[in-house]
Amino acid sequence: MSDVVELTIPVRANLVVLARLAAATVASRADFDIEEIEDLRLAVDELCVSLVQGDGDGRLDLRFSHDDDQIEVTCSFRTDSIESGGASESEGASDGSLDGLSARILDALVDEHGEDIEEGQRRAWLRKRRARNSG
Amino acid sequence: MENAFAIAETTGDGCTVVSVVGELDVATAPDLREHLERAIDRDGLVVADLLGVTFIDSTALGVLIGALKRSQSAGGGLRIAMAEPRILKIFEITGLTELFSIFPTLGEASAQ
Repeated sequence: MSDVVELTIPVRANLVVLARLAAATVASRADFDIEEIEDLRLAVDELCVSLVQGDGDGRLDLRFSHDDDQIEVTCSFRTDSIESGGASESEGASDGSLDGLSARILDALVDEHGEDIEEGQRRAWLRKRRARNSG
Repeated sequence: MENAFAIAETTGDGCTVVSVVGELDVATAPDLREHLERAIDRDGLVVADLLGVTFIDSTALGVLIGALKRSQSAGGGLRIAMAEPRILKIFEITGLTELFSIFPTLGEASAQ
């Protein structure tokens, strides 16, 4: 059975910690071990900072879903401005590139990750599988 | 709940130590940058004491890299005191153990 947790946070640097807390809680409930929980905490943080680099208008929509042995996280940047041509034009948005450090971290900590544009919104995602089989 | 973030500078004997406790992320990295730049501009050896850091992300790593470059231009040098295996792992993943001089204790990092 798959559980889904959704969280929306304003684009505020001091609220990215909420995404990390949600990641840790979901991973703990999915029976990931401590190392995997810490990996996912940092990986989700990197998803968020790949989309925003400071305070600005707009929101981050996070979606955590897990089945028996895998957690998938998507993070979408949604601007508050209807007239904005795209989320990337919003104040606080990053330049859209996953920099070298962030990419290396995600490569090492999760099984898959990527970025795309969905319905005009920039989106970053990751998948992490639990290393051990359930009992 | 999250660890409280704190940052402080101490100066003495030609060495400035910038000590950090808590989580270094997009919210707190600007504070780190400000303290490190001020320390580097003061001249002398600068030590980033990360012994109390419990979380670090690419934003903070970028600040440290920028500070290293600034310290090299200033001629003073930047070292890191760090012992938490979880934090060291992130430096290893990103190849930054090859870039920075990292010491397990503040005493070793401050030695001149």
